[in-house]
Amino acid sequence: MTTLIEVSGLRKQYRSAFRKPKITALDGIDFQVQEGELFGLLGPNGAGKTTTVKILLGLTHPTEGTASVCGLPVRNPESRRRVGYLPEGHKIPNYLTARQALSIFGRMSGMSSADIRQRIPGLLDQVRMGQWADVRIKKYSKGMTQRLGLACAMVHSPQVLLLDEPTDGVDPVGRREIRDILRAEADRGTAVLLNSHLLSEIERTCDRVAVLRNGKVAAFGRVEDLTRQSATYKMVATPIDDSLLAAFRETGAGVERVNGHMVLSVTDLTHLNVLVDRLRAGGGELAELTPVRSTLEDVFVDLVRADERSSVGAHE
Amino acid sequence: MKVLVANIEDVMREAAARWTLIAYFFLSTIFIIIFASAINLDIVDGALAGAKLFGKEVDMRDSISIEKLVLGFETGFSVFLYFLCTFLAIFATAHLVPRMQEKGTIDLYLSRPVSRVKLLLSRYIAGLILAGSNVLYLMGSIWLIVIWKTQVVNPRFLLGGTIIFLVIAVLLAFAFLVGVVTSSTAVSIMTTYGLFFFGLMLAAHDKIAAAVSEEWQAWTIETLYWVFPKTAELGQAVVAFVGGEVMPDRVLQVLTPAPFLTTAAFGVGCLILASWLFTRKEF
Repeated sequence: MTTLIEVSGLRKQYRSAFRKPKITALDGIDFQVQEGELFGLLGPNGAGKTTTVKILLGLTHPTEGTASVCGLPVRNPESRRRVGYLPEGHKIPNYLTARQALSIFGRMSGMSSADIRQRIPGLLDQVRMGQWADVRIKKYSKGMTQRLGLACAMVHSPQVLLLDEPTDGVDPVGRREIRDILRAEADRGTAVLLNSHLLSEIERTCDRVAVLRNGKVAAFGRVEDLTRQSATYKMVATPIDDSLLAAFRETGAGVERVNGHMVLSVTDLTHLNVLVDRLRAGGGELAELTPVRSTLEDVFVDLVRADERSSVGAHE
Repeated sequence: MKVLVANIEDVMREAAARWTLIAYFFLSTIFIIIFASAINLDIVDGALAGAKLFGKEVDMRDSISIEKLVLGFETGFSVFLYFLCTFLAIFATAHLVPRMQEKGTIDLYLSRPVSRVKLLLSRYIAGLILAGSNVLYLMGSIWLIVIWKTQVVNPRFLLGGTIIFLVIAVLLAFAFLVGVVTSSTAVSIMTTYGLFFFGLMLAAHDKIAAAVSEEWQAWTIETLYWVFPKTAELGQAVVAFVGGEVMPDRVLQVLTPAPFLTTAAFGVGCLILASWLFTRKEF
């Protein structure tokens, strides 16, 4: 697999006015995105996601570290020949039609007029905008503008797609279509970097994610690895009373009573079986026992809360 | 070249969609119509028998030749056109950089494989093409109307447009510099008009320098005069060039390389500085 995006030791500090301390947006982050991979960049507001994308596009310059796209340093404008970008809240000039916008941005990406003419109909059909090709953008809905933005990012068939909130304002059907388009792009070898607050979208779409927090990579890996919570189970049983909870806690298990069922944290399967034995020994009946799988949102919220707790601790 | 063509297309489409192009050429057309209907010449056997300007009889007792009268019209109008063309051009093009730098728009341009300098200069050239086409339209139309009404051909009138174009190019470079720094169309327009009038005032630099009390003040005024565009001298140069040899010596003496070269140098300096700042700017 070829690495198409490589970020190493990236640091970015913004100067602030009146000699106040510098603001650190990125504090030495590293990650790589391979060809054919859908990669999600997550993080709370101000975590450094947009700064990372802007550095990859040469819109802003790193204070330290390196970033390259398709093997070329991001300072080299040629690196952007193979990059398609959809900014959040983009403003494609609304006096243009979809065809004109694609033509202008295609030529700015180095395409010939003949190639652009050939590419536009298929591309607009792909984003379900074929019928709107010659209508001015100011007549479009937000979802349509977003789909056109995606087409503008893909017009020159880039090897790397950087997408900032690509499904923003798009209806559920449109979102699924965009997910399908991105999957198809990845299948043909494009590296897709998604920057989104919609964690469910990221969870459904991406192969791997990096969660940024305070300019650092707080979590990194495959989505299923991050969402797997080993040794946490939901138990539905009768009766659930205080004596049962106490008996479970005696074994060292974590026990939480939630809406008529229990959430158990155990060390391993043997430990789980001990709890089941205790339930039965006390005359209880097991109705349901299922492993708990957290969502990406749970992982994200836990990381953010852990950060809030540590910062409160530091102040105290 | 593809980038330049794409930018020219973008600028023209924007100008058309936002009514700038229509307003720009509509105002110019109104002026041309007024000019065409204002001049009425009575020519008998190739000689000027009478003339009316805005319906008023021109005093013909001094038996003016038609060539002299046309030259008088053209030199007078060239001054007016100098101001009109310059003001319209700045008004129609000063937004090019601030609008491009808007959040959500600049990312679309800078994410393309184009160097920032190339992007800025492409937009500058697109602006010049827009302004230049208007100068050509105004000057050319009036030149043709004069030929149609008098059969007198004075190519110097048309060529005088190149001096106006030079001033527009320099002022647009300054507007681009201000646009890169402030991202504000209003500030770009105001400061560029301010620069134009400041240049007019600095024409009296020797008198102002003589009037100030401190030596450093006089030195500052002289420096500003040499650094800033010489809008007064170049306006005079348009008149001198259009009028040619019939103009008095005090007018013709302005046709020296110095005001042209220093003004052009100011424009080039502004463009270089704008390009440098644009390259370093973080979005």
